[in-house]
Amino acid sequence: MGFFDTLAQWLGVKKREVNVLVVGLDNSGKTTIINHFKPHDSKNHDIVPTVGFNVERFTSKALAFTAFDMSGQGRYRNLWEHYYRECHGVIFVIDSSDKLRMVVAKDELDLLLQHSDLKNRRIPILFFANKMDLRESVSSVKCSSLMGLDQIRDKPWHICASNAVTGEGLSEGVDWLTDQIKDLIESKKK
Amino acid sequence: MPAMDEQPLEANDKWLDAYNDRVASLYTFTQCMTLSDIQADGDYKLIIADLGTGSYDMKLKVYKNTNLMSEHTIIDLPTGVVTFYMDTLEPRTPAIAVASGPYIYVYKNLRPYFKFTLPPLDIHPVEQDLWDQAKMDQVNPLVMRETLENLRMEGSVLTVRSLRMLQLDASDLDPFVQVHKASALKRQTVITCLGTLKKSLADDDAISCLVLGTENKAIYILDPEAFTVLATMELPSVPVFLSVNGLFDVEYRIVTSCRNGCVYTLKRGASEGVVKHCIELKSQPVGMERINKNIYVGTMDQMLHCFTAKGKKLWTVKMPSTIMTLEAIDFKPKGFKAVAVALANRQVQLYKEKYLVDVIHTEDVVTGLRFGRFAREEGTMVMTTKSGSLFVKILKRSAKFEERDLAAGPPSAQNVKLNVPKKTKLFVDQTLRERENAVSMHRTFQRDLYLLRLNVAREYAKALDNSMNPISSDPTEPLKLSAQIQGIGPTFKLTVNLQNTSLTQASSNLFITFEFDDRLYSFRKKFIQVPMLVPGLNYIFDTFIDCQNDKGVSDNVKVFVLKQGKSVPLITGVISMPVAETVIMS
Repeated sequence: MGFFDTLAQWLGVKKREVNVLVVGLDNSGKTTIINHFKPHDSKNHDIVPTVGFNVERFTSKALAFTAFDMSGQGRYRNLWEHYYRECHGVIFVIDSSDKLRMVVAKDELDLLLQHSDLKNRRIPILFFANKMDLRESVSSVKCSSLMGLDQIRDKPWHICASNAVTGEGLSEGVDWLTDQIKDLIESKKK
Repeated sequence: MPAMDEQPLEANDKWLDAYNDRVASLYTFTQCMTLSDIQADGDYKLIIADLGTGSYDMKLKVYKNTNLMSEHTIIDLPTGVVTFYMDTLEPRTPAIAVASGPYIYVYKNLRPYFKFTLPPLDIHPVEQDLWDQAKMDQVNPLVMRETLENLRMEGSVLTVRSLRMLQLDASDLDPFVQVHKASALKRQTVITCLGTLKKSLADDDAISCLVLGTENKAIYILDPEAFTVLATMELPSVPVFLSVNGLFDVEYRIVTSCRNGCVYTLKRGASEGVVKHCIELKSQPVGMERINKNIYVGTMDQMLHCFTAKGKKLWTVKMPSTIMTLEAIDFKPKGFKAVAVALANRQVQLYKEKYLVDVIHTEDVVTGLRFGRFAREEGTMVMTTKSGSLFVKILKRSAKFEERDLAAGPPSAQNVKLNVPKKTKLFVDQTLRERENAVSMHRTFQRDLYLLRLNVAREYAKALDNSMNPISSDPTEPLKLSAQIQGIGPTFKLTVNLQNTSLTQASSNLFITFEFDDRLYSFRKKFIQVPMLVPGLNYIFDTFIDCQNDKGVSDNVKVFVLKQGKSVPLITGVISMPVAETVIMS
């Protein structure tokens, strides 16, 4: 990082760049969540199932995020692990109305946590219990117990109920993630 | 969560427990369950025709995800449920067909749409005549019943109404006739099994015909738009399970297993009752599936058989328990094809070819089994059990099925064919020779055998005459001799054991002497006087032998036991002397 970058960052003009990985089962709302953070003029109006992955950029109050919006379809899920190494945080989106596939989401989360690139890193994981507006959806508390989140002891995590269509609960989650990643970077500097 | 602890690990590492409902109170079978995208939204629903109590309360239930989405009452017991596309309208919503009694109820967008009735069958003219007379009160119900009974005894098939009449008591006959005489007499058959057949395109959402098997030993193919019978095929027996593939307009095969324990294959154009292939099973079929071109049949004698399309048996596997139902597994993302067998010992076993690749342990005996896409998940196994529970298991993304046999059995090497060489000319010549000269060869062999026996007998007699054996043949002096050589030379110790083997008689006046080559050996005692031998005791005598030669030659030494006044020895022992070591200090 050059002198001007450092200076700009210190002055708060330029924000620090971090990578986050957005994962979750197909049809859970990953692309819709990312779409919500994009500036108004570049928003997509119809969201189609992602093929492979998309790279999107958005900023929060202190960080510039590069989000790897991975496809959640079964045949593309093996791509996720290739991005574990260079990510600073993970956003795991859960379809809280899909009770049947909660176990599949749990299985994928377990695979993620067990992966050698993430196992020994204290990277923050943000869970979105998405589609909270639907009648069949379960609460974020129920969601975290179904996913066995209380078993995660070596990583900071946070779950918030969200509605990606209206944007409810999304900024709360990203604010938490921003704080966590900032803390992590600060502690590394010392 | 169920009691997962008692399940072995191998069952857990492939399947995720997605949903359990122990109080679903479903009474259904594999044929009455199907998975389909009936709302064309990519969210596949589970459609179950519930037999209710078995006599009333029959329902068509549709599950969306884990919720019961809709329920429709069915009037009669369902025998099969399928979904099929009946038009080309957008969105592509398939219709549900429920077979029940002589009817097929078609539901579209979860609303009743059409009811198809099987064509009525011919009624026996006498029976028709009887009911016509009854209509005008010209016949006595008792006489009528007797005539009907006679008709039945002759083997004619009667209508349901007449059969019911035969069951009634005499007092109930008249009211029964009064109630029913006015309505027209109809003989109808009942649908036993239901399948679908694509009409002219092989696409996933192409229009399909319905294929039905009926109780009057026939198979009908129905047009999906007009609901007319497109083709009728006669069978020798009542079909129970159907497996259909191909296209109606091009070429198709219907494999059906029947109540007579046979599996028939019907082809396009086989409407004249020509059954091309027939597989005769040893037991009644309880399930039939087709994977690729092979037919898998589970039978009541706990066997799973596999046949080729042409009816050749490939293999048979014995199941550990009674088979409840079969289901084909075709998991396209991994190209995994297998057959799932639900057993009475609360297991579901997966067989890839004839190899057991996985065992799923369930809480209860599974009676209904479907594998396919449910909700948005492709590898889902839906199970209903005897006690009415509903279980949904999802195949893990990381699951790998090894093709090795989980069950202990004969090693795979046993199935490897040995490379037996071809018959050589020499072998053929020998065989021919043996075949032609069998008599003379046998005679030669017999003669040689007699000669051998004669020689043996002669030698034995000679040995007895010369007392050349170490056990005395003389009845007056029963003695046993054994001798050992000890040492490595040049000085050996010869030990002679002598035993009187008689029970009462003592022997006396005996001597031991030796015969040897005096250029080789020198005995320190050449003559040993034997004291009186008490019966049963073992007497030990020894002498030292010095070897005179250091060239490494050895010879036999004979031990004689002699009796005073007799020139022939009583017994003889032959000892083969070891080669003596050379003297180190000399």
